[in-house]
Amino acid sequence: MTEYILAKYNFWIYVVLMMIGLYAMMGKRNLVKKLIGMNIFQTSIILLFVSAGVKKGGATVPILRHSDYGPEHVEHLIRVADYLNPLPHVLMLTAIVVSIATTGVALATLILIYKRYNTLEEDEIMAIRKDIRSYKTPRILRSKD
Amino acid sequence: MRKWFKPISLATVILTGMLLIYGIHDMPSWGDPNSPANRHISPRYITEATRKTATPNIVSAVLGDYRSYDTLGESAVIFTASISCLFLLRRIRRQGNHDD
Repeated sequence: MTEYILAKYNFWIYVVLMMIGLYAMMGKRNLVKKLIGMNIFQTSIILLFVSAGVKKGGATVPILRHSDYGPEHVEHLIRVADYLNPLPHVLMLTAIVVSIATTGVALATLILIYKRYNTLEEDEIMAIRKDIRSYKTPRILRSKD
Repeated sequence: MRKWFKPISLATVILTGMLLIYGIHDMPSWGDPNSPANRHISPRYITEATRKTATPNIVSAVLGDYRSYDTLGESAVIFTASISCLFLLRRIRRQGNHDD
């Protein structure tokens, strides 16, 4: 059993990270904590993809050595096992950019929500919205008076 | 309802995690050079990218040449995000000026 876990322990780590992120998105009430949970979720996916490109046995980063692309180089001399898989790296470069973009827009939206409701707790925002919908003075304004 | 929210979400998370762990069984072992992800198209990239694009860095050759439309869409995403951030944050400043 221990051997079975250790053979693919990287996937176990990603599952745990992803579930931490999912729980933060579902169970937490603070919107900033939800956003951090989304970031943890994205990080676990990025790690999963990067780990798909790993090759054991002396593979290095996918930048060709000079002996592999110089003028005296013959094409079939490049050994595929010498370099890591470049495709997951490329895809995750795109995914990192998208995650930065979503985080930026979400933070800007959170600033707007805080300006409007004076809180970032989800249940308080829902209570205020419920009061507004039933034409009552919101609870926060009432407590100030 | 509020009281049961956290236990329900915890149960959902544990269930999903168990499903994912069940799926680990089918994944290739870590660092296997013959895993499907390492066999499909990446040998072509590694052997041909430098000859076709004259770039020793295979990642940038794939990013900027083989998948340049992907990169174009990515820059569209950044552009959209920055524009929406600009509009969202500009509205705040204008509201602040009205309050003053």
